[in-house]
Amino acid sequence: MSKDFEQQLHEALRPVDPEEGFEQRVLARIVQERSSTLRKVTRWASVALAASVVFAAVLGTHEWQLRREQEGLEARKQLLEALRLTGEKLDVAYQAVNREAPEPADDGSGA
Amino acid sequence: MTRARAGESSAFAALVRRYQRTVYSIALRMLSDRHRAEDLAQEVFLQLYRTLDGIDSDTHLAFWLRKVAVNRAIDRMRMESRHDNEPLTEAVAVADEPIEDDPLLHKRMADLVAQLPPAARAVVVLRYQEDLDPTDIASTLDMSINTVKSHLKRSLTLLRARVQGTAIVEDIR
Repeated sequence: MSKDFEQQLHEALRPVDPEEGFEQRVLARIVQERSSTLRKVTRWASVALAASVVFAAVLGTHEWQLRREQEGLEARKQLLEALRLTGEKLDVAYQAVNREAPEPADDGSGA
Repeated sequence: MTRARAGESSAFAALVRRYQRTVYSIALRMLSDRHRAEDLAQEVFLQLYRTLDGIDSDTHLAFWLRKVAVNRAIDRMRMESRHDNEPLTEAVAVADEPIEDDPLLHKRMADLVAQLPPAARAVVVLRYQEDLDPTDIASTLDMSINTVKSHLKRSLTLLRARVQGTAIVEDIR
């Protein structure tokens, strides 16, 4: 009886075929998935490209600002050096003028 | 298989033709709905297409397809909360029936199998539809052999009782 029952169960659960055209529907779905994947890849590539452009622009601007700052600092340094040199020259000239200047004349008043 | 792996669509179509019955039947017995079974079977072959490189033989392929079909079906049942079939113990009692070749009886048996909880149903389907032995069922479902045997024994007792109209109190969940 047990064997009969199992045999009946076996027959009750006989494999069944899917509806006609199953294989074509699977292949169509694969094609659909492929193109959908391609669309996704293209979309992601566009987003990545746009992000790269923005990043490059930000980086470029930052580099440009840094370079400008460096140039400003260099110019400031040169100006200070020039001022220092000028100050030294003036000092030398001032001392020379003081050294060569005649002593005030004695007017004999004894004062 | 090699040609399918190389991307030859006619070779892959041949694989689909060869295994569509197995995959679709498992899906149908598990989900009890032709449309959902077809959708699930398509998904299984789609997954196969993506992972063909990992399949190394026909035996492996058959094992892989059964495993993926059953697991996807169980996942879907859980996800869709379609596991609201009344437990078999609460099913409407059927009158005493002799066990004989009877299309109606077969239909009733299939309906009763469809009321089993997912794991027990998977075990019964793999045993009586796919003709796998308990060892193969255990490896397909990642279960111990004892669990498989236990599912089989309890499901058979329950199904037999239902078919014969014997009241049963045990809940196999």
